[in-house]
Amino acid sequence: MASVATMETTTEETGAMGVTFERGDGVLIAKTEGRVDGANAREFQTDLEDAIDESDRVVVLDLEHLTYISSAGLRVILLTVKMLRKQEAMFSVCSLPDTIREVFEISGFDKIIPIHASQSEAIAALKA
Amino acid sequence: MSEKLSLKIEARHDALSDITAAVEDLGQRENWGADLVFKVNLALEEMGLNIMDYGLDGGELEIELTSNTDALTIEITDNGRPFDPLNDAPEHDVTSELEDRAVGGLGIHLTRTVMDEMSYRRENGRNHLTMVARRD
Repeated sequence: MASVATMETTTEETGAMGVTFERGDGVLIAKTEGRVDGANAREFQTDLEDAIDESDRVVVLDLEHLTYISSAGLRVILLTVKMLRKQEAMFSVCSLPDTIREVFEISGFDKIIPIHASQSEAIAALKA
Repeated sequence: MSEKLSLKIEARHDALSDITAAVEDLGQRENWGADLVFKVNLALEEMGLNIMDYGLDGGELEIELTSNTDALTIEITDNGRPFDPLNDAPEHDVTSELEDRAVGGLGIHLTRTVMDEMSYRRENGRNHLTMVARRD
C-alpha cells in the first residue's frame, strides 16, 4: 500500500530468526523471517512485545519469509493476539507459505486469526 | 535409496539446531522434499522438547532416523523416568475459544497430525517413541 510510509525500522537477528518492523499510517507491520522454534521463541516474543506500543491499533504479521514454526512459535502468536485484544487493537497475518498455513489450520489458528493473501489485502481489511 | 542416521543429543533446547541441521542434510541426500523435512523437524522438536522438559533431568536423547523409499521412521529413546508423550500430556482442544485456549498439548496435536503412525513403549528401563511418516 503506497500510503504506508516507513517511519521506523528495527531488525532483530536472533539465530536463524529475524523480525523487521515497519510503522506507518496507523499500521504496524512485523515481517518475520527464518525459523521460529523452541530455541528462539522467547526472543520472538520479546521482539514483538518491545515493538508493539500501547497506542497501536492495527498490527499485521507478515509471514512470507517464515520457513518453519512449531507450537512454541504459535504460543507467542497467541500471546500477542491476547495482548492486542486487551488494547483493542486489530490483528491479522498475511502471505503464509503453504507449510505454515497448514500448521495454522491444524492448530485451529485459522479460526481465530484472520489470514490474508498479501500485506495490502490485510491492511485494506483491517482498516475497512 | 536408504539410509540410517543416529544422533546423540544433549537434553538442552539449544540442541535443536543440531537436530535441524542433521535432518536437512539427510533429507537432501534422500530426496525428501521440503514438506517432509518440515514434518520431521516438527515431530522431532515437539516430542524432543517434551521429553527433555517432562521426562528427563539433563542427560541425553538418542535419535535414530531410518529413511527408505516408502517411509521415514523416527525413533527417540532416553533413559529418563517412564514418560509416554502420547498419553501423559493433555489433548489439545482446537475448537476452544481463544480466551480459554490452553497452550499445553498443541505440540502433541501437531505431531499426531503430521505423522502417520506413533507408538510408545518402555523397554529395558528406556523410553522408546517411534514415529512413521510415509512418503507419498
